[in-house]
Amino acid sequence: MTSAEGVAPQAGVTHRRPVRLGKVLAPYLLSLPAGLWLLALFLVPLAVMLSLSLQSCNFGTGACVMTWHWGEFGQQLSLYHAQFLNSIYFAGAATAIDLVVSFPIAYWIAFYGGSKKNFFLLMLLVPFFVSFVIRTIVWEFILSDQGIVLGTLKNAHLLPQNFHVLATGYAVVAGLAYNYLPFTALPLYVAIERIDKSVLEAAYDLYASKREAFTRVILPLTIPGLFAAFLLTFIPILGDYVNQQILGGTSNTMIGTVIQNAFLTNLDYAGGSALSAVLLAIALIGIFAYARILGSRTIEEYL
Amino acid sequence: MNDQHSAQPEPVNPGMDPSVWRGLTQRRVSRRQMLTSAGAGMGALGVSAFLAACGVKGATTANHTIKAGGVGSASWWAKQKLHHTVNFANWPYYIDVLKGKHPTLEHFTKLTGIQVNYSEPISDNLPFYAKIRPSLQAQQYTGYDIIVMTNNSPPLGYLIDYGWLTPLDQSAMVNFHKYASRLVANTSWDPGNKYTMAWQSGWTAIGYNSSVVKNPGNSVQILFDKRYAGRVGMMADPQELGSLGLLAIDVEPATSTESDWARAAKKLQLQKSDGIVRAYYDQDYINHLKNGDTVLSQAWSGDIFQADLNGKTSDLRLLIPHEGGMFWTDNMCIPMYSQNPRDAMTLMDYYYDPQVQAVVEYYNDYVCPVPNAKGVLLSPTGWAKTALHAMRPEIGLPTTTTANAPLVFPNQQYVNNSRNYYKYKSQEELTAWNNLFLPITQGA
Repeated sequence: MTSAEGVAPQAGVTHRRPVRLGKVLAPYLLSLPAGLWLLALFLVPLAVMLSLSLQSCNFGTGACVMTWHWGEFGQQLSLYHAQFLNSIYFAGAATAIDLVVSFPIAYWIAFYGGSKKNFFLLMLLVPFFVSFVIRTIVWEFILSDQGIVLGTLKNAHLLPQNFHVLATGYAVVAGLAYNYLPFTALPLYVAIERIDKSVLEAAYDLYASKREAFTRVILPLTIPGLFAAFLLTFIPILGDYVNQQILGGTSNTMIGTVIQNAFLTNLDYAGGSALSAVLLAIALIGIFAYARILGSRTIEEYL
Repeated sequence: MNDQHSAQPEPVNPGMDPSVWRGLTQRRVSRRQMLTSAGAGMGALGVSAFLAACGVKGATTANHTIKAGGVGSASWWAKQKLHHTVNFANWPYYIDVLKGKHPTLEHFTKLTGIQVNYSEPISDNLPFYAKIRPSLQAQQYTGYDIIVMTNNSPPLGYLIDYGWLTPLDQSAMVNFHKYASRLVANTSWDPGNKYTMAWQSGWTAIGYNSSVVKNPGNSVQILFDKRYAGRVGMMADPQELGSLGLLAIDVEPATSTESDWARAAKKLQLQKSDGIVRAYYDQDYINHLKNGDTVLSQAWSGDIFQADLNGKTSDLRLLIPHEGGMFWTDNMCIPMYSQNPRDAMTLMDYYYDPQVQAVVEYYNDYVCPVPNAKGVLLSPTGWAKTALHAMRPEIGLPTTTTANAPLVFPNQQYVNNSRNYYKYKSQEELTAWNNLFLPITQGA
């Protein structure tokens, strides 16, 4: 529609204009659906959230008025800075575990999967056909203090009576690592799968040992994939609010839980928005630092 | 290096068609341009004005007086007819159950021909309130004719203040005016029972596993005992947690001050840093008490009895400490724009029939709003006799046990030992309370 209107008045001037204008407009028109999508479902909610963080809200009516209350950020941060650090720390630990665990998996499927590659990838994903909340609750059941694992070991006097796995930071990190494994394994697989197998042969022809071929050829080629996997795992974990609530205890709350409670349990929209804005800023800083170091092209290729 | 190469970025993949490469690079430039222009557009709009315009509007119609002929007036009620259906929203596990059905509701349908759609969507006051609020603001039916809200949480006050509850038809509260207990009639949160009728009351006290905790004593300090480090459950709800903290420093919660709150928070913080608290729970505290994760826990009075009933063991006991048990009441009320108010009124008053309450209480074990139900449990007659008899095998206890339980029909000592919650005078007070106790439950 818009292109036709834009083209018509120009058509009388020269012959070549309309073609050029269409060419200029084409990318914009093509990106229009995606742009509108981004505007309606990302930029507008984002603006509302940022705006809410500076408003004063009535808990009862939910009505908010703009008061430019920048103090909200200071107050929320003074109350919950430790929960931010927890999130960063847990997300880092869980992502590191995922990278270490999924690299051999991805490597093996890519290089030795043969004709069954798709089958192995499916096997990797099968547990994730069940909602991750349910899977996490099942872990809670399995690991409960007097449950089928710990209870049995305690009855056999192999573990002290007050030993417990739940309600610890370890349980949270384990739960996070378990739940987000495919987010690491799949980008890594894509990166490793892309490697031209002949470069390995070339390395061997040049008298590289197996170990050298790996460290000097394979690993450098997978670094962008490693970073993509890191981002895809780290950022969602940063906002996770399920694992800690189910598996964690009293001193390892993650910021996602605080934000969720602010919005859903305490109806404190301003406080929740301020915390979300800070979390978003942390994630963005992470992405920009990454783009600086590795160039934005690698993000586009792997995400 | 020749000119051609320096003008174009070097392709990563030499096998790639140069035209594809050109297309890719061109598109990237265009996208960047578009983002720039979009950013300029935003700037032109005026970021500050835009942000300010993003507010959330909440229309309220605060009215405390019933207008002549308006909703809730006698003439309005006179026009309300039975629709033979009513939508009742309650909390989970809060009504008599027999083989997956609710005997008192079935009996009600048999008596009146009114079908009850009984659901259990309420697990917390504030989130449920947030769910029905948009309908009320839009002056629309919430989907429920009866909801049950606790007096210790802000939403009940909000609903009354904003005129979002239908004033009750006092002339239809025959059973209520005849049988309601002193504890729930003409209450401080709803003088004259203009908007609410109690469903059940209860205490937030201490539940413990008697096979592990042999000598609980009678003080709230047992929850701070290092012998049970790591095996004590506390409630995540800031109102419940803070009130217990106040009891633990010997302060009456209802008349406490902000400096008391800070001291209570300090006491609770210490309880956590000493490693005594296993976790801060919501409704699921009872599962952790049942499966042995905790041996001591803040608990709601009726839950302990029911847990013993349904669990493998029956070692759970309730302790109301000498410092007091926090006493709360869950209230039935009719939200505004209800489609079946006459049916709702009929059902609410039906539950004040002593025979009906006796059946509810035999299963529930919370504090009964109808003292006369005790007589029914001691010597049941008629319909109640049949219903109680049918439930007997599942409950496993004689009805006289329920009748003589001071937790269900409290004696004077229990009444004296009941404490009221603090009533926030402003949103600032509520925020101050939350900012003290929420960082404990959401600790890092």
